[in-house]
Amino acid sequence: MLQVRIREITIKSPGHNKLLLNNASLDLIENKVFTILGKNGSGKSTFAKSITGLLDKRHYSVWGTVHFRGKDIFALNPVELLQLRRDSIKYVFQDSVNSFNQLKKLDYYFELLSKDKSEIDELLSYFLLPDSKKLYKMHPYEVSGGMAQRISFVLALLSKPEIIILDEPTSGIDSAIANLFLLKLKEFASQNRNSVLLITQDISFAEKASDKIAYLSKNRLSTFYEVKDFFRKKDDPLLVDFLEANKHIEE
Amino acid sequence: MNKLVEILNLNYSVQSNSILNTGKENIILKNISLEIGANEIIGITGESGSGKTTLIKLIAGVLKPSSGEIKFVPLKEWKNIKTNPVQILFQNNNEILNPFRKIEDIVEEAIRLRNKDKININIEMEKIFSSVGFTDELRKRKGFELSGGEQQRAALSRILAAKPELLILDEPFSAQDVESQLNLLNLFKKINEEFNLTMICVAHNLKILRKLAGRIIIMYNGEIVESGSTEEIFNSPKNDYTKFLLKCENYNLKYEDLKFKTDLTE
Repeated sequence: MLQVRIREITIKSPGHNKLLLNNASLDLIENKVFTILGKNGSGKSTFAKSITGLLDKRHYSVWGTVHFRGKDIFALNPVELLQLRRDSIKYVFQDSVNSFNQLKKLDYYFELLSKDKSEIDELLSYFLLPDSKKLYKMHPYEVSGGMAQRISFVLALLSKPEIIILDEPTSGIDSAIANLFLLKLKEFASQNRNSVLLITQDISFAEKASDKIAYLSKNRLSTFYEVKDFFRKKDDPLLVDFLEANKHIEE
Repeated sequence: MNKLVEILNLNYSVQSNSILNTGKENIILKNISLEIGANEIIGITGESGSGKTTLIKLIAGVLKPSSGEIKFVPLKEWKNIKTNPVQILFQNNNEILNPFRKIEDIVEEAIRLRNKDKININIEMEKIFSSVGFTDELRKRKGFELSGGEQQRAALSRILAAKPELLILDEPFSAQDVESQLNLLNLFKKINEEFNLTMICVAHNLKILRKLAGRIIIMYNGEIVESGSTEEIFNSPKNDYTKFLLKCENYNLKYEDLKFKTDLTE
């Protein structure tokens, strides 16, 4: 079933009159992981942020529509938007450590989301993090970047959203931990009516995690292909350079 | 093979600063022995906290070993030269390039430290900029006017201007897309040949290390657990940790395989 219907998103930066994204569309379907690959600075994160109206209106103009289960996200008032981001569509950002208020101890974030200590501890131990007793006393600046990334993912899972949007989850973490992300992400996507939007440069991760992959290049989002087809789509002009480079590194 | 660096029984430890256990020794590197031949490209890998960065800092002379020795045998005389035969390409190039100066000025100054001849300076500059693929236009820009990849190549030109014998690359491929990674890979190989430069590359990304390095060192917990030709390491790894790491890289890990990581929960 269709969860999020994203239609013809165009993003411009009015200050520089620069086109950042041209006509991107995506249908997030339940129990699937959708992945966007693309070069540095191609606008992957900007696109992801635009979905729940996270882009600052002073710096970005956004056209298009996003419907979450039939509800027009761009028509929501600020309070409803906050609710949506709290309960339904969760982000795990690349620089997770900056998503926290550095002056609040971590217990603040956990206690907002769940009272079930055993559930929390189970997830913490899954991600090889210290238990709640220890972690709650820490400030965000006391944990490493890789830990912040994991904590951010745990918090997203605890809030039981329908959609998780992960932006570069594997950058700056060890490959063993990245494997944990992969396993948990697959598990999340298989439950209820959940789905995942993944933004990454880690091709092996994308290959293992995704159901469908698209490539963002020259301000345009390609079609979402089945994983096995994606790596063979040499006839798609948006994918040519990428596939060629990837072939050289893979072989 | 001509040896450039010889490391013998190297140890490095620091005193713990914590109030509770003052004076407790924290061992970072244990008994490292390693030889690096001239003109070789050697890859070092291992996860965060395995001691890779400490090892390259010791090799570069930024840190002093607690015990053991590092013999660096340069091919030419470096006594009266103001630059260092060992150079490091860091990750944070945007912080390293002086924002007030043009790239060509930075590079020219570095060449002039060891070469006063104006004509030769221009020839050298031409060689350096053309090998890193810097156009006339890019040379005239300042650091902050360049993209991340361009900054990295600008920093590399500055390094080449010092004519080092050993170049250490610290995670040069991290946070880069495949196309940039491939360009960089080809660039390093070219520089290795054109400038007879020995290279040590520290990287997480095994896929690309496999393409670059002739020999790979695997580190875990401050020790070298396995080293060998790239082919040996990838095709017939012997150490359990190496096997684990290869599995991780290919995202084939099962949760039960994580026994290597359990020490991190502490």
